Amino acid sequence: MKIKLIISMVVLIICSASMLQDKYELLYPNYFPSPVYDFEKNELTTEKIELGRALFYDPILSKDNSISCASCHSPYNAFAHTDHDLSHGIEDKIGIRNAPALFNLAWQTTFMWDGAINHLDMQALAPISSPTEMGEDFKNVVEKIKRKPIYPKLFFQAYGDSLVTGERLLKALSQFQLTLVSAGSKYDGVKKETAEFSDQETAGYITFLKHCNACHREPLFSTYQFKNNGLSIDSSLNDFGKGVITQKAKDSLLFKIPSLRNLSYTYPYMHDGRFRKLKEVINHYTSGIQETATLDVRLKNGISLTENEKVDLLAFLLTLDDKNFVFNPKNKFPKKILLPSEGIMNN
Amino acid sequence: MRNNILIGILLLASGSIRAQEDILFELHFEPLLHNTSLLVENNREEFASYDLTVETLKFYLSSFELYNDGKPVFSTIQNCYLLDLADPDSWKISLTIPEKLSFDQLNFQLGVDSLTNVSGAMGDDLDPVNGMYWTWQSGYINFKLEGTATTCPARNNRFQYHIGGYQAPFESLQTIQLPVNPNSKISITLNLDTIFNEVNLSENYKIMSPSESSTIFSKLLKKAFVIKR
Repeated sequence: MKIKLIISMVVLIICSASMLQDKYELLYPNYFPSPVYDFEKNELTTEKIELGRALFYDPILSKDNSISCASCHSPYNAFAHTDHDLSHGIEDKIGIRNAPALFNLAWQTTFMWDGAINHLDMQALAPISSPTEMGEDFKNVVEKIKRKPIYPKLFFQAYGDSLVTGERLLKALSQFQLTLVSAGSKYDGVKKETAEFSDQETAGYITFLKHCNACHREPLFSTYQFKNNGLSIDSSLNDFGKGVITQKAKDSLLFKIPSLRNLSYTYPYMHDGRFRKLKEVINHYTSGIQETATLDVRLKNGISLTENEKVDLLAFLLTLDDKNFVFNPKNKFPKKILLPSEGIMNN
Repeated sequence: MRNNILIGILLLASGSIRAQEDILFELHFEPLLHNTSLLVENNREEFASYDLTVETLKFYLSSFELYNDGKPVFSTIQNCYLLDLADPDSWKISLTIPEKLSFDQLNFQLGVDSLTNVSGAMGDDLDPVNGMYWTWQSGYINFKLEGTATTCPARNNRFQYHIGGYQAPFESLQTIQLPVNPNSKISITLNLDTIFNEVNLSENYKIMSPSESSTIFSKLLKKAFVIKR
């Protein structure tokens, strides 16, 4: 009787253990605000993150199986891209915007330079179906993933059964991207009192707080709102940003404020990648502002900086580079999963 | 032993109470074109030779409510249903209501509410694989109608109406209110002729994003739902 009881208990424990997913706790510093992503609707688990990572690096998401998310959002560029000023899609097609860096996404409510996307889960649908990016029908992506041998197992591990649905695919992609937290720069070291700024960096920090922090607010280094920062209109693109989406005059030429973290890895800068060097960006703010109706009031007369202040500011901005994030092996291409059955050529 | 009997009695009792109280309330929707049902495949084939044909018809219905004397007496928990011409079964919606419920009005919404629109990835009828989600700008397509008309000047005479939008000023969610008799089955017609009688296909044949014309179109759709007599 006793033995039977023990056996049944052991069986029960094994069964329940196999049902339990390995919960993942998103780690971020105590000086960060609370994330805005609703984790209750998409609880992080190691298995779902791993599925999301495989999907992120798998070119199966594109029409001709040539472009993955990572093609334009490379881990070594803090998940941005440095070869092209504008995003580069299937069949060498060129898009209209500079691929933004991906990190600290759990603190953002709207996505894309123009804010067209209202939730991280839905973001991937845009590049997947854009004719100049992945050019694929989402329904077909789901069908291709059902047929690729590695995925039934990954879906089973993540969701308890191997059913592939659009919802699961999108949520798994969100999970991986949510784990891309950049909080390991020298600036973060100073915050955590494990590092110290040099005199020049301290001077640059003071300049930053005075002139930049209103929009590029620390510690995320963006409010993630939308502003017109006085860029001249590129007549080859005629991109009016948020105004195109909302069709409101007050939103014309407004673009999402990017974070200043990882600037060394994420050039070129601006929504159209027009500046390749940080110096050019700073010079834009001091002497290149174009006045239009929706220009942010703070920039009306440009930002006044001495040459010394510019150099100090640059020194501070470089303390926002997060090597630990950029070279984190957990964020890299999942060789073990994707290489054994590379591509869908076998199908 | 005594406890078991007691539990058994309780279970039986609760079961019988439930069996007495709840009934299935069926809503049968039927799209009409040229005054004929589009759910019958033969009709669709016959229409191919007409000046006006419909190939795609998909839309969301949500938030079913029953009213009695102007007061709400029932509302659904599960929200969005996708009705699709390609899936005739999807045109029957079954709700469970209390058997003795009195009501004289049925309300439901055409489209997906704004909260659902901003709540991330959803499954089943709301899964983006159903082709009812805009990819370049977040938001559900509430109503999709595509086909051909000889009067339509577009390529291959194709008209395309993708009606949606959840943000001001281009909201397209519409509440439909219909007076009903308290039956356990109610048939509702979606009269496409009403729509085509009012839309000028030679000028307004393409709506693919939230805009003033999509809002106007959604108001027109509201009128196309009528109780089948």
